[in-house]
Amino acid sequence: MAQPAPTVLTFSGHNYLRQRLVLSILSGKPVRIDKIRSNDKNPGLRDFEVSLLRLLEKVTNGTVIEISYTGTSILVKPGVIYGGNLTHDCPLSRSVGYYLETIIMLAPFSKKPMTLTLRGITSDDKDLSVDLIRTVTLPHLQLFGISDGLELRIKKRGARPLGGGEVQFLCPVIKLVKTLNFVDPGKIKRIRGISHAVRVSPQFSNRMIESCRSVLNRFVPDIYLYSDVYKGEDSGKSPGYALSLVAESTTSALHCAEAISEPGVSPEDIALVATRSLLAEISNGGCVDRKHQSLVLLMMVLGSEDVGRCRLGEPTPRTVQFLRDVRDFFGTSFKIVPADPDNPESTELLFSCYGTGFVNINKSVA
Amino acid sequence: MDDNPHKAHRPAKAKTKQTGFNEKAFAPKSGRRADRQGRRNVERDQTRLHVPLVNRTPEDHPPPVIVAVVGPPGVGKTTLVKSLVKRYTKQTLTELKGPITVVSGKRRRLTFMECNNDLSSMIDMGKIADLVLLMVDGSFGFEMEQFEFLNILQSHGFPKVIGVLTHLDLIKKQETLRNTKKTLKKRFWTEIYQGAKLFYLSGILNGRYPDTEIQNLSRFISVIKFRPLVFRNTHPYLLADRFEDLTPREELRQSKGKCDRTVTVYGYLRGTNLRHGMKVHIPGVGDLVVNGVTVLSDPCPLPDADSEKKRKLSERKKLLVHAPMSDVGGVTFDKDAVWVNVSGSFTRTMATDIKGVGERMVMDLQDVDGTLEDAVAASQIKLLGTSEGNILTNDPQGVALGEDREGNSNSDDQGNDWDTNSSSDEDDEGRSSFDESDHNDDEAFEFPGSYGRSTARRSQRSVGDLVSTDQLPQGVEYADSDSDLGDDTGRSGGGTFGGIDDDEGFLNHGKFQMDDDEMEPEDFPQWKNHIAENAALIRPRVARKDWMQMIYQSSLTPSHVVHGELQRHPEESSHTDELFTIRQDGEVDGDDEDDRASASLPKSDLRKWASGEVLDSIRHLFITGSGLAHGDSHGLDEVGDGFEDLEEHAAVPETNPGADSEASIAIQAAKKKELKRKFDEQYDEPETCKPDFYDQKKHEISQQLELNRMEFEGVDDVSRALVVGHTPGSYVRIELANVPCEMVDNFDPTYPVVVGGLLPAEERLGFVQVRIKRHRWFSKTLKTNDPLVLSIGWRRFQTIPIYSLDDHSIRMRMLKYTPEHMHCYATFYGPVALPNTGFCAFNSMSSEVAGFRVSATGVVLDVDRSTKIVKKLKLTGVPYKVFKNTAFVKDMFNSALEVTKFEGANIRTVSGIRGQVKKALSKPDGAFRATFEDKVLMSDIVFLRAWYTIQPRKFYNPVTSLLLSDKSNWTGMRLTGQVRREDGLKTPLRANSTYKRVERPGRRFNTLKIPRKLQATLPFASKPKLMKSQKRQTYTLRRAVVMEPEEKKAVVLLQQMQALRKDQVARRRAKQEERRAVHRTKMEKEEEKKGEKKKEERKEYMRVAGVKSKRESEREEGGARKRRKT
Repeated sequence: MAQPAPTVLTFSGHNYLRQRLVLSILSGKPVRIDKIRSNDKNPGLRDFEVSLLRLLEKVTNGTVIEISYTGTSILVKPGVIYGGNLTHDCPLSRSVGYYLETIIMLAPFSKKPMTLTLRGITSDDKDLSVDLIRTVTLPHLQLFGISDGLELRIKKRGARPLGGGEVQFLCPVIKLVKTLNFVDPGKIKRIRGISHAVRVSPQFSNRMIESCRSVLNRFVPDIYLYSDVYKGEDSGKSPGYALSLVAESTTSALHCAEAISEPGVSPEDIALVATRSLLAEISNGGCVDRKHQSLVLLMMVLGSEDVGRCRLGEPTPRTVQFLRDVRDFFGTSFKIVPADPDNPESTELLFSCYGTGFVNINKSVA
Repeated sequence: MDDNPHKAHRPAKAKTKQTGFNEKAFAPKSGRRADRQGRRNVERDQTRLHVPLVNRTPEDHPPPVIVAVVGPPGVGKTTLVKSLVKRYTKQTLTELKGPITVVSGKRRRLTFMECNNDLSSMIDMGKIADLVLLMVDGSFGFEMEQFEFLNILQSHGFPKVIGVLTHLDLIKKQETLRNTKKTLKKRFWTEIYQGAKLFYLSGILNGRYPDTEIQNLSRFISVIKFRPLVFRNTHPYLLADRFEDLTPREELRQSKGKCDRTVTVYGYLRGTNLRHGMKVHIPGVGDLVVNGVTVLSDPCPLPDADSEKKRKLSERKKLLVHAPMSDVGGVTFDKDAVWVNVSGSFTRTMATDIKGVGERMVMDLQDVDGTLEDAVAASQIKLLGTSEGNILTNDPQGVALGEDREGNSNSDDQGNDWDTNSSSDEDDEGRSSFDESDHNDDEAFEFPGSYGRSTARRSQRSVGDLVSTDQLPQGVEYADSDSDLGDDTGRSGGGTFGGIDDDEGFLNHGKFQMDDDEMEPEDFPQWKNHIAENAALIRPRVARKDWMQMIYQSSLTPSHVVHGELQRHPEESSHTDELFTIRQDGEVDGDDEDDRASASLPKSDLRKWASGEVLDSIRHLFITGSGLAHGDSHGLDEVGDGFEDLEEHAAVPETNPGADSEASIAIQAAKKKELKRKFDEQYDEPETCKPDFYDQKKHEISQQLELNRMEFEGVDDVSRALVVGHTPGSYVRIELANVPCEMVDNFDPTYPVVVGGLLPAEERLGFVQVRIKRHRWFSKTLKTNDPLVLSIGWRRFQTIPIYSLDDHSIRMRMLKYTPEHMHCYATFYGPVALPNTGFCAFNSMSSEVAGFRVSATGVVLDVDRSTKIVKKLKLTGVPYKVFKNTAFVKDMFNSALEVTKFEGANIRTVSGIRGQVKKALSKPDGAFRATFEDKVLMSDIVFLRAWYTIQPRKFYNPVTSLLLSDKSNWTGMRLTGQVRREDGLKTPLRANSTYKRVERPGRRFNTLKIPRKLQATLPFASKPKLMKSQKRQTYTLRRAVVMEPEEKKAVVLLQQMQALRKDQVARRRAKQEERRAVHRTKMEKEEEKKGEKKKEERKEYMRVAGVKSKRESEREEGGARKRRKT
C-alpha cells in the first residue's frame, strides 16, 4: 500500500503569510493560500511577498512553489532547509526585518550553518529594525539553546526610501530545541538603547538620547543609550534616524520599542514615542514582549516532549492567529491560564504546551 | 580444696562484624601504587556512568513489559510461555495466539509474545521487545535464525536478552552436557556481553518446564531493569493484542469484501505520548491514518490498594490474564460493545445445552426480529410521570438501525473519537433520562469470531446519543465558560483549568449556587427556566477572558479576540437578494496591517504616558520600585536578595490579618524553606551541594518530568489527551481507516501487529544517505542498483541503493560494489528517518534462503531532496592532425556546442601527455583544437575524464508481508536475472559483449636516429651503443687444435674421472629410490587410516544434518507437534 498523500492545508488571505510559510516548512506539510488580495484593485502577491518566496526557495532544497497566473493563490510544497552562504536583495517596499523575522525561525533547523546577506532598508516602521533583531530577537533564541555563532552584523545602514543597507545574519545549526520554563518576569534593572542617524547631523542622535533620558531617568539609574552614527559608504542612500530601546529585567526578560524618523517631526518627539512605547510594553508585562511572542511560542512548540511554560502579556492578534495556525500544522494547542489568578487586575497569561519533540532532521551526522 | 574462685571467664569479644573485605589487607604498599589504584577506581566509576536519558514511560503506571520468546521451531517456546503464564496466573492456557498479558508483581506486568521463525516477525518483535528470551536447543546448538535475530536487535537498539537452553535432557552423558553448556555459554557471551544471563531448562514435566527453574527465571524477569532506548523513547507504539474489523457489512457485501476496511486495534501504549493527528505505520501493512483513539479501562490492571482489599483467596479471582487472541476470559468490554466468547464453534443447535444466564440472553438476542424503533413504538414507556405521551422515536437515523450500521459507522468516521470520549464522560455524570432509556434498551451482546465477526450483527448504541457527541466542536475544552453555562447543565466544575474565575463568579452570585451532582435526572430543573436571564446577569461580573476558548474554539477574528468585540455574522449581509453587494472590509482584504511585527501603538495610547501618575503606576515593575504592589506574584524571585525580604514579607500578614492567614502562612513557610535551602547551599558542605555534571543532568531530567506531571495534574483525562496526547501505559483502542482488506482477510494472530507512531518528518519521502557495511557473514557482495530490503525505524521496505565513497572530500564517487570489510555510503529513495537511526538490510526475506540473510547493517546519516553522487566518465578521441604542441582531435564530441561546454577542460593521452581543450573547429563536427605539453603521436588516444551525476532510482516498495496469506514468503522486485531464470528466458546476448580474440597488427617502430653532431656532444652514458654482431667467424673459432702427448694424457684422465663420478651418482640414486619406496608404503598406510577417520567424521556430520532436516520436515507437517526423543 502506498503512502497516503500528504494533506494540503488551505488558508485564505494574504495576512499571516509569513508564519504560515514558516510553519509549513518546519512541519513539512504542503500549504495552499488563496484569495490573496483577490478583491483588491491590485490583486495578487506584492513584490516583497514574491521576494520572500524567492528567498525561501534559496534557503531550502526541493521546495516547490506554484504561484497562480493572477498571483492570488500559491501552493507551497516544502523541502528541506538547507542554509549555507546566501545573498538576497530585498525590494524597497519592506525592510530587511520582514525577511529576517521569517528566516530566524527557520535558520537554526537548516542543514548547514546559515550566512545570509540581505541588502535593502534596514529599519522602517512596519517591521523590526535590525537593531532590535540584533539586541532582542537573537537573545530570545538563546533561551532555547541557540547561541554559539548566532550573530547579526550591520554592515551598512539604509533608511527609507532608497535603502542601501546591508546586514549579515549568521546562524548555527542545532539538533534539539531546549524546553523553556520562563515564568518569572523579574523587574527591569537596566535599559539600553541605540540611537542611530545616517546622512543627518550627528546632533540628532544626541537630541534623541537626551529626550529619552528625561523620561526614563526616574525609573532606573542604569541607562546607557548609544549614539551610533554611520558615515560615508556605510550610511546608505537616504537620510534618517531612529531610536530603539531595550529594557532588561533581573531574569533577563527583554522588552523593546523603537521609533523611526518621520518628516516634520522633531527628534525629541521621536524619542518620546519610542520611550512611551517602551513603557507601554513594560506595563504589558510578561517575560517576552509582544513583538516576539510568536517566535517564543513557536520555539516552545518545537521543544522536546516536555512541558514548556512561559509567561506572556496579552497576546496580539498576530499571536492569536499564530496559535491557531500552530494547531493546524503541529496539532499542538496551548494551555492558557491567568498567570496569577489571585490578582484580578493582572492581564498576564501563562502559556504552557507540550513540545512536539521536534528534531532537526536536516542536520546530518558527522 | 582451694576456695578461691576460678578465674572468671574472659568476656567473649564482641565479634567485629566484617563487612566486605578487610581494608587493611588491600591497602596499597607504595604511594605510587595507591595513586594508580585511585585512578583505576575513578576510571572504573566513570565507565559505570551512562549518558542520562529521559525515560518517557511513566514510572507510577508503566505499560506491561514486552517479553518476546524467540527461537527456532521445536525449541520449546510455547512450553516456556505456558509455564510462565502458569507460574504467574495459575492457569493453563490451551492455545497461545498473540500477546498474553499477566500481572507479575506490584509494579510490573508482562506481555508475553511468541515470535515465530519468520524474518519479518523477528524484525518487528526486535523493535518492540523490552526483554528477549532467546531460546536455544541445547542438544543442537545455535541456529542461523538466532544469529540473524541478534543482528537485527543490534541495529534497532539492543533490548535485554536472556538466553534459555532447553532440551538438555537429551544429552545423556554428564561430560558432554557440561561441555555443551560451556561452549554454548561462551558463544552466547560473545554475542551479547561477557556474563550475560543464560538459563538451563532441563526436561518437561506435565507439559511444562520444572517449576523451580521457571520460578528462578521469573524472579530474574521481575528484577530486570530497562534502560530507555532512543528510538522507542521518541516514538509511541503499541503491540496490538486485539484486532476487530468495523467495516459496515453492507459495504463489504457490495464490494465482495474487497473494499478498504475500518479496523480497530487494541493494546497498551508504549514509548512516548500518542499525540492527536499522528499518523501510524503498521510494519507489514503501511502508513495508516488514525481515525480516533479511545482510552479503555485497563483489562489487566496493576493491583492497587482497593483491589488488594477485595482480593480473595480464590485463586482464579486473583490472577488476571489478558489474551484476547488466545480466547482466554469470557467477556471483553469495548468502547461501545460487549463481547461474549462462547467456547467452541457456535451453532444454533446448541440451544438445548445452554448453561448460564448470559448465554441464554445472547441466544435470545439472536431471535430479535424487530428493530429498536419497533420496540420503542410498541412500548409504553413514559419519560416522566407527568409526560403526556409515550416516547416516540423520530430520529431519522434510528430507522436504519436494524439492518445496516451505516449511520453509526459514518458518525464514527466523521467525528473524532477524542470528542466522543469526552462526551461519554459527561454522559456518565448527567445523562438525561431520554438517553438513559435508549441506552438500556440497546445494550446488546454479540459474538466475535476469531478476530472479527462472522455474523453481521453488532451492538448499537443509540444513534442520537452518538450524533450529539460527534457534533461537539473539535478542540480543547478546558473551561466551563459562560457560553457553556446555558446548555450544559450536567457538568460539574471539576476537571477544568481555565475556569477558576468563572467559578468564582458563579459562587459570588449566591442565587445560582447549587450542586449539580445532587440533581436527579428525572426532576425537571426549575432554575433552567430563567437560564438566559441569569446568564445575562452573570456575564458582566466575569471580567476575565477565557483565552483558550476564544482562540481555539471560537471563529472570532484574531483582532476581535484581542480587542473583545463581538463576532459579526457574515450571514446578515449575504442573505440579501441583490445582484451586487457592497464589499465589507473583512480581515481577508485588509491592508498589510497584520503582517507587521512592530505594530505601533495608537498615539492616544502613548499620550497617557505624559502624566506623572501613570508613570508612577508602573514603578513597581522596576528594581527601584517597591515590591509591595505585586509582592505575591514576584515573591519567589526576590528571595535571592537576602534576608530583609523575609522580614518584609513577615510584615505583610500583620497588615491584613485574619483574611487569608492560612494561605499566607503556607506561603511564608514555602519561602522560608526556600531561603533555608539557599542558605544551606551556600554554607553547608559546599561540595555536596555542587553536583557534578552527571548528577546535575539527572536532576534536571527528573525536575522536568516532575513539571510535566504537575502541569496537567488537575486536568481531566480527556482534555489532557488533547494537549499532551495519550500517555504510555494506558490501554487504548485505535481506529484505523482505509486498511487494505487483505490485512483482515489474512489475519494471523501469531504474527505481531505493531502500531508505530510516526513523527511528522517521517511521513515524507526523500533521498536518505546512510553509512553501510556489508555483513561479514553475508556471502555475496552488494551491487549498486540491486534492490535491497531495509528495516529502518518502524518500516520495512525495498529500495534501490547506490553505493558510494567519499573521494578526497571532493566528490561522492559511485561504487559498483560494496567494499570488503569497510564502511561505505549508500543513498536511496525512501521514507525519511532521523539521522543516527540504525538499520539492517536484507537481500531476500524468504525463508528458503540457506545462508545468513542479514546482508548489511548501518546508520542513517543525512536526509535530503537531491543527491550528489558521481561516476567517472571518460570521453575518448583521436588526433587527426598533429602540429608541434597542438593537435586537432576528433571523435570526442558530436557538435561544436558540446566542445564549447568543455573548453578549458583537462585532457590527457594514454602515454601521459597532458593538455587542454582549446576551441571547436568548424570542419568535422565535434572536432577541436587542443594543446599539449609535448607533441602527441597520431596513434595516441586522447581522453577527457569527466564526472557524471547519477540519481538513485525513485523506487520505494513497502514490505507488505502482513497482507499475504503466506506471510513468510514476501517477494519484492526481483533481479532481471532472477526473473529470467524463473520464466525460463535466455539472457539476450549482444554481439559486442562476447569475448573474441583480439587481432592486433604488430607495430613497427622506427629506430631512434640521433644526429651525428648531437651524438658527439652527448656524454658516453647517453650515447647510443650501436655495435653490430660479427658476421664472419673469428680466427679463434676457425683454427684447428693439435694436442701434445701430456695434454692428451691429462684429458683422458679427466674423462675417466668423470665416468667414475657418473657411475657413483647413478648408484646413489638407486639406493635413494629404494628408501623412498619404503617410505611411500608407510605413508600410504597412514593415509588409509586418516581416510577412515575422515569418513567417520563425515558420517557424524551427516547424522546431525539429518536430524535437523527431519525436524524441519516435521515442523512443516504439523507445526506444534512435539519432538520425539532420539
